[in-house]
Amino acid sequence: MSENRFAHLLLAPAGLWLALLFAVPLGIVVAVSLGTTDPIYQAVYGWHPENYADVFDPLFTPVLLRSVGFALATVVLCLLIGYPIAYYIARFGGRWKTLLIALVVLPFLVNYLVRTYAWVAILSDEGLVNGIVTDAGLSENGVRFLNTPWAVIGGLVYGYLAFMILPLYAALDRMDPALIEAGKDLYGSRWQTFWHVTWPAAFQGVAAGCVLVFLPAVGDFISAQLLGGADTYMVGNLIQQQFLEAANWPFGAALTIVMMAFLLIWLSIYLRSAARASREATA
Amino acid sequence: MGEGAEFDVGPSANRGDLVSTEGWAERVPLARRRPRRRRGRDFDRPVFLRVFFIVFMFFTFAPIVIVALFSFNSTPSLQNFTGFSTQWYDEFFSNVGLRESLVASIEIALVTMVVATVLGTTLAFGLVRARSRLAQSSNVLMLIPLVTPEIVAGTSALLLFAQIGIDLSLLTIMIAHITFSISFVTVIVRARLSALNREVEEAALDLGATRMQTLRLIVLPALWPAIIASALLIFALSFDDFVISFFTTGESPTPLPVQIYSSIRFGVTPTINAIGTSMLVISFLILAVAVALPRLLGRREEENVLIGRETA
Amino acid sequence: MIEPKVDGDLYYFNYSQYINPGLVKEFEKKYDVRVIQSYFDAMEPMLAKLRAGNTYDVIFPTAEYVQRLIQQEQILRIPRDKLENLDNIYSYFDDPWYDPDSAHSVPYSLYITGIGYRADVIDNMTGSWNDLGNEEAAGRIYMLDDYQEALAAGNLLHGFDMNTVVESELEQTKEWLIGLKPLLRGYSVDTITNMSSGNAWIEHLWNGDIINIRYRVDDPDTIQFQKCSEGFPVGSDAFCIPVNAEHPGTALKFIDFMCDPKNAARNVNWNGYPMPNRGQDQTFADLAKDDPNIVVTIDDLEGGDQFANLPQEDRELWTNTFLEVKAS
Repeated sequence: MSENRFAHLLLAPAGLWLALLFAVPLGIVVAVSLGTTDPIYQAVYGWHPENYADVFDPLFTPVLLRSVGFALATVVLCLLIGYPIAYYIARFGGRWKTLLIALVVLPFLVNYLVRTYAWVAILSDEGLVNGIVTDAGLSENGVRFLNTPWAVIGGLVYGYLAFMILPLYAALDRMDPALIEAGKDLYGSRWQTFWHVTWPAAFQGVAAGCVLVFLPAVGDFISAQLLGGADTYMVGNLIQQQFLEAANWPFGAALTIVMMAFLLIWLSIYLRSAARASREATA
Repeated sequence: MGEGAEFDVGPSANRGDLVSTEGWAERVPLARRRPRRRRGRDFDRPVFLRVFFIVFMFFTFAPIVIVALFSFNSTPSLQNFTGFSTQWYDEFFSNVGLRESLVASIEIALVTMVVATVLGTTLAFGLVRARSRLAQSSNVLMLIPLVTPEIVAGTSALLLFAQIGIDLSLLTIMIAHITFSISFVTVIVRARLSALNREVEEAALDLGATRMQTLRLIVLPALWPAIIASALLIFALSFDDFVISFFTTGESPTPLPVQIYSSIRFGVTPTINAIGTSMLVISFLILAVAVALPRLLGRREEENVLIGRETA
Repeated sequence: MIEPKVDGDLYYFNYSQYINPGLVKEFEKKYDVRVIQSYFDAMEPMLAKLRAGNTYDVIFPTAEYVQRLIQQEQILRIPRDKLENLDNIYSYFDDPWYDPDSAHSVPYSLYITGIGYRADVIDNMTGSWNDLGNEEAAGRIYMLDDYQEALAAGNLLHGFDMNTVVESELEQTKEWLIGLKPLLRGYSVDTITNMSSGNAWIEHLWNGDIINIRYRVDDPDTIQFQKCSEGFPVGSDAFCIPVNAEHPGTALKFIDFMCDPKNAARNVNWNGYPMPNRGQDQTFADLAKDDPNIVVTIDDLEGGDQFANLPQEDRELWTNTFLEVKAS
């Protein structure tokens, strides 16, 4: 048979699977988001776009803004921490590059929950750090690290840092060190070299890393739940609560769609700029 | 202020760029002139970066090490290490519920790995070789799960099962995991596939082989490392997964990460440390196999695919 | 009609740390089954999990939720004549308001809600729900993560009917709750761990938890319970068997086992909550000897503020109000 035909044949099973078990559920989410519930929480389909109005109710705006804010803070911190690490390994790793990057990634193989729990154990009021703080007499009752917004951001950074480091490393590793030397001679200053030589090569990696960290961080609920307090409610917690606690599926579904639409906008901006960048690069 | 002679310009004093007509600012090493920031620049001797790296490794490994260390504590304390004991591991492996969770997690990961790899590989082949509108939309359909937040994945799967009327169980978890794993396989295998040299295939076809035979005898062996790599990745992702499992799990047995979550929320003991450390060992073994396998097969360039250096 | 005979492992769904683990183990040994425990934080999450397709054999709804589950035909009838130990239960529960003829439920515990506090670090409690906003304990206060309990505290404080659905009144309660947030460490049902670990100096909790907390701290006298002067929720919960239970026979055996007077006494001793079972009278009297605050009697039930089973719209008003508090 023709190659095209054969290829389509192979495409079919997975295509069908994704259509039925991914596209259809998303469709159900949309449908439920426009419905209501009956007394025993069965979803009742209908046309209730006011669910979406509820999402933008000023009461929930803090939650939405906070999620974006935390996610942005996470991205910035991951970038500040991840870039030097990726740069160091890419530029100075030598023969040990692979080993070093594996070592860097290794802690992130540990289950996200276990890692978060590790920080809970370490930073709790009876944890290691507070033990040292009180023994050293720095504070009488210990410092409250947990149940604060920064604890949540810290948890997010710790959770997603690898997603920043790996693309950064990939991009920086592709860079030819000779270019940096040439740039130094050409531009004369480190800052100029960085700006004109390193940064353009790294940019793709930075953009990819930012996207890979930002998207999941916005929807995260684990850090907020385990490390946060009464004032760190994120949109992920809200969605989780609507589905698993309040059984208000229409509202939860509407929230889900809105969040996903928001993230898809950023994603398409990224993809478009990446496509443009690669066109320019090959031009 | 002379032309730089009086300034201690640090380790790069012998660089030609300093004897230039640029202003004062360029001649002072960045480490001096900027406040200590964590922003890397182009250093010649990476003292700062090296220190940063070491501090970084300390902070990323410390929690893991502490978790592992306290999993061997002889008392339930998470603050004072009082002695060595394997009691928490005993508790983990003798607790029927936890054992079942471990087995469940492995089962789910295995099934997910096999099915997702098969589906993902065939999809990759189809996307690379098929030309049609359908293929293009399939491509888009394939990409969306990659960027779908896990919570959306979990809730949409939950809604599907609830509206159809399927009770939650291991099967529902598997279905949800497979759905979101296919795309990973496809992306990895496709990268390798599009870099393959078609000539051998075409030669085989000219010689009378069917498409299936060509696929089986020529394409698959060449794709093997990518397939294995993605399979192992899927296993690790599924084994570790929490969010999707959380929304699609029944009550017994629940996968291990969901158990950990319940324990953290409802009653913490160092048994969690034992579970976490065991999971780490399993994940580490998977990674080790994934890295070592290409070497064993003598294919160094596959390593590059894994690390992301491959530009195909 | 279901029969009390062992038909598989028991899937148990309840608050955590709310049953004597020794009793559970004994049940497992006696009938050679496993008891697989799952936990919920509050009633709505319990319902949500049921709705999501999970199957449990025995659940523990509060009285108003029992009524709701009966209305929605979500729980099975209990064959009372086939169980041996139900005679020990107080006669008030022969025909309670929420379950005519007690056909669908067997009572588990009696409870009241109040405020637990550390007497060694807090010395200015006023006996009011406002103590949840005690500035001395800022950052070490927890409220129950339960929409009914949170709104009840506010309603009682302001002198409203505890089950009010008047929007302006709920607004005031909401404002008060939002005003508390900066002082709160979190919303949590994990009261025993919070107070025994020292994380909480003031905690919104239920009477029995005090006993349980005292067992776990070095100096039990520092843990005190306050019944608030403006009023307090009083109620009961019950064993129920969901319609989709896969092992209802074992569930019946379990209920019968727990209603055995000796087991009730042991449970109360661990739990701290009185059970409406004659077998535990002496045990609970001993526990409450030094602390009459934790006592709940049938008179309290009959005369006190119990949570009502609100119609759907009103209940949504309540859950949305609490959601707005949590999200602000």
